[in-house]
Amino acid sequence: MHRRDWIKGTSAAGLALISNRWSATAAEAAGLSDRFPGLAEIALNKAQSLGASFADFHVMQTDKESLYVREEMVQGVDAGSSLGCSVRVLVDGAWGFAASEEISGAKVASLVEAAVATAKGQAGWRSQRIEIENLPAHVGKWELPIEVDPFMVSLEEKVERLLGINRSALGAGANYCYSYVSIVRERKWLANTFGSRTEQSRVRIHPSFSITVVDQKKGEFASRASMLPPRGAGFEHLRDWDAVAEAALAVEQAKEKMVAPSVTAGKMDLVIAPSNLWLTVHETVGHPTELDRSLGYEANYAGTSFCTPDKLDSLQYGSDIVNIFADRTADNGLATIGWDDDGVATAGKEFPIIKDGIFRNFQMAVGQAELIGREGGSNGCSYADAFDSFPIQRMPNISLQPGKDDSVTAEDLIAGVEDGIYIDGNGSWSIDQQRYNFQFTGQVFHRIKNGKLDGMYRDVAYQGNSVDFWNACDGLGGKDTYELGGAFNCGKGQPGQVAPVSHGAVPGRFRQINILNTAEESGKKVASLDPTKVNRSCHCSGGGNTSWA
Amino acid sequence: MGLTKSQSESLSQRVLDLVEADGANVRITDSEDLQLRYANNDITSNGLVDRIKINLSVSYGKRSASIALNQTDDETLKAAVKKVQTMAKLAPEDPEHMPPLEPTEYLEPRTFSEATAALTPEQGLAQIRPVIEAARAAGVDSAGYLERSLSSATLANSNGLFVYEPSTSVNYSLTARAAEGRGSGWASTQVTDLADLDLEPVGARAIEKALASKNAEERAPGRTTVVLEPAAVRDLISLLFWKLGRRGFDEGRSFLNGLVKEGEDPIGKELFGNKATLFSDPQNGSAPCGIHDYGLPRKKTSWIENGILKNLEVGRFWAQEKGISPQPAAGNIIMRGEGRSMDELIGEVEDGVLITRLWYLRMVQPQTLLYTGLTRDGTFAIKDGKIANPVKNFRFNESPVNVLKNIVASGKQTRVMGSEGSMPMFVPPLLVSDFNLSSVSDAS
Repeated sequence: MHRRDWIKGTSAAGLALISNRWSATAAEAAGLSDRFPGLAEIALNKAQSLGASFADFHVMQTDKESLYVREEMVQGVDAGSSLGCSVRVLVDGAWGFAASEEISGAKVASLVEAAVATAKGQAGWRSQRIEIENLPAHVGKWELPIEVDPFMVSLEEKVERLLGINRSALGAGANYCYSYVSIVRERKWLANTFGSRTEQSRVRIHPSFSITVVDQKKGEFASRASMLPPRGAGFEHLRDWDAVAEAALAVEQAKEKMVAPSVTAGKMDLVIAPSNLWLTVHETVGHPTELDRSLGYEANYAGTSFCTPDKLDSLQYGSDIVNIFADRTADNGLATIGWDDDGVATAGKEFPIIKDGIFRNFQMAVGQAELIGREGGSNGCSYADAFDSFPIQRMPNISLQPGKDDSVTAEDLIAGVEDGIYIDGNGSWSIDQQRYNFQFTGQVFHRIKNGKLDGMYRDVAYQGNSVDFWNACDGLGGKDTYELGGAFNCGKGQPGQVAPVSHGAVPGRFRQINILNTAEESGKKVASLDPTKVNRSCHCSGGGNTSWA
Repeated sequence: MGLTKSQSESLSQRVLDLVEADGANVRITDSEDLQLRYANNDITSNGLVDRIKINLSVSYGKRSASIALNQTDDETLKAAVKKVQTMAKLAPEDPEHMPPLEPTEYLEPRTFSEATAALTPEQGLAQIRPVIEAARAAGVDSAGYLERSLSSATLANSNGLFVYEPSTSVNYSLTARAAEGRGSGWASTQVTDLADLDLEPVGARAIEKALASKNAEERAPGRTTVVLEPAAVRDLISLLFWKLGRRGFDEGRSFLNGLVKEGEDPIGKELFGNKATLFSDPQNGSAPCGIHDYGLPRKKTSWIENGILKNLEVGRFWAQEKGISPQPAAGNIIMRGEGRSMDELIGEVEDGVLITRLWYLRMVQPQTLLYTGLTRDGTFAIKDGKIANPVKNFRFNESPVNVLKNIVASGKQTRVMGSEGSMPMFVPPLLVSDFNLSSVSDAS
């Protein structure tokens, strides 16, 4: 069916219906606290009557829409909503928790009983009591500012944008292209026994594509994914993206990558674009400095951390030009929120994790600062990803700060490399269970020769030790090179939870990093190609948010 | 658990009765999960969570859309049906859209146990307590997680298809850590029937490994003979199965394309050595699984037999395109083992490494199915047929294809958890040559 026939069939009424919020009822339009009056009091009063020293009651609604387009076929038009409540109690120094999608007075009372029973079931055989600090009461509402509500944008526009990306890729010679966009609205209502009553709403969006080129004769293929990160933003994030141009460039780069010379393994200097470096920040700085991980709470899943409390204020985590700060207030940050899921206000709680290369702070939720003798209590890092998830410590936005010289660009950093690689876009990532040994790939690997980009490599991975890596940093881009990367789905905990998080970064230069040849790692013999015969289409991203202008 | 078979039938019919579209599929999953987590030998976060999820997809010819919701009142159901039908009418036609399946026969599910369903939080705590106390007595810190899942899954459609599957499982794993000497050990179990659950030997195994892995020495990386315990084997196998699809090969973007000549089909070829036999069987007594894959009935299926590829997953649309039968994806994996004991497998190794489990496995190169990851929680040097000493962990870069090709011997099957996914698996330990331990990790 031709696209134009579909447009003719679209009625204005249909578009209006599709643009409506998840339900058209008046009750739905009201805030969560108005829709469920009196339940917080039932939960908190009952919890205290059964012996809870602390209790909180959460109601959470998450609305989602997503669209998936493969070549010129619209294959996934999806929407969804999840609504439910939970009760968390602290009784005799033990946690209890229960949750349900049923939200009624009777159900809430039974959740309290179940949660208290689980807490009391630990009586007599816990070795340590759980204690939390007193928290100030906060009463208010918060909403993430966005320009265009993505839930109010027509399905037609969303489809047209994704089809446009795919057509650009196919027109440039891609064999396959898929694109998608995912949007989420998260609404939370919290009430706790400290007197907090907060209601919050935020939106996030993740548009993306991936192209593949295939050489059937050789049995080879190469892919290149888009580099636009998800954001705490509205539909403007997709509208402002020149995805059509990037799709065409992606095809060009994938073709070049497929025939590029295979890298020689060994030590090389790297310049890493923010589109790749944000994930390195996440894995080698974000996760190691989660206090609950450091204290052993994650030991049975993601492991522990080399970053132990005794290293605070002493560990030379990076070179003295490295500064990495945490916040839950950045514009468009995926972890940006008004109050965390313990009820701690996030404004004014920004903190350095690494300052001038020295490790300065862990990320903490309630009841954790005291365990390492830190004053000030929680720094606002609690999050539950759904109504039925126990709030745990999760990452705030964690960002590599620009270097002191605002004029430095990625090209300047590259000019200081004789023989190296400029890495752009995320690829594979893996790190060990104490956050030492990591291995990452990317999307595009530009060869650097005598201070300039000169063709591409293929089969590249960079591998190292977190602290050695950051201490090898000898150059950072200025503030105009700063970009906000991030992910929708950082995983942690048992049962598993996913959290959205942003990481700002500037381009960075790292000296003598271990480079692997991934084809050799798989046992393949690597054919050497004449590097003078490859195409040269080198594009240096790293300038603000408009890499593909 | 809230929904019996008749309640599921009633709820799915309530939804279908509201649908005006040409075709509709309703999937309902209803669960009550008991989650008990502990660290530093004390219970931490925990929960008793009940939830329901309804997925409704509707189609008008080749236009379709889907919606998910978790409320079952009339007003919400009506609003959801109205919204998804509007979305479907506005969606462009998808030439690959397949209509709802016709009713068909399914095997009897074997995935439910009344005893598991009846487990209470107090009983769960009582199961965990002796394991924690044993860790305290041994002077190690332990962290663990027990999850009792009690659920039902229903699929119903506008052609009258209805299939209901109740299921229960208990997943348990723990990590024991010896602070002095930085030892770490891990063990797990996964059962359908509570009667098969015995946590104390699992705890004892993890504690033993933690104490045995203290003061690990550094061993040079390189291609090495390894004994992979079942937890490590199941992770590598599950990563292989994620990519055993017909369409990817036909489109030229599968690792299989690099294993055969242009124009050759991989089925019938010996691509995985000659010692690997893997099959699925929904009614397997040790690791039963769901009886359908989005309505396509699962049956006993051979995937790899003595290294020869026998089948690939094929979706309905691609099967129609190619004029072949659809092949549901695997719901479980049973790998044949030679039945040798761990001592016998270790006894065959002159110089190698014993690996308890793997971690953080990620695709590095899809063209060769190269994965990276780490060893973890019990890694030991083997010398002259015996465990010699604990060694530091490694990062590996290896392909499950190579692992199967390089099988030297195998042991007795067991059902355990892994790091990658929770698909039921019944796999043996493997003795494998030339496994690429590519660098040393300082992580304990």
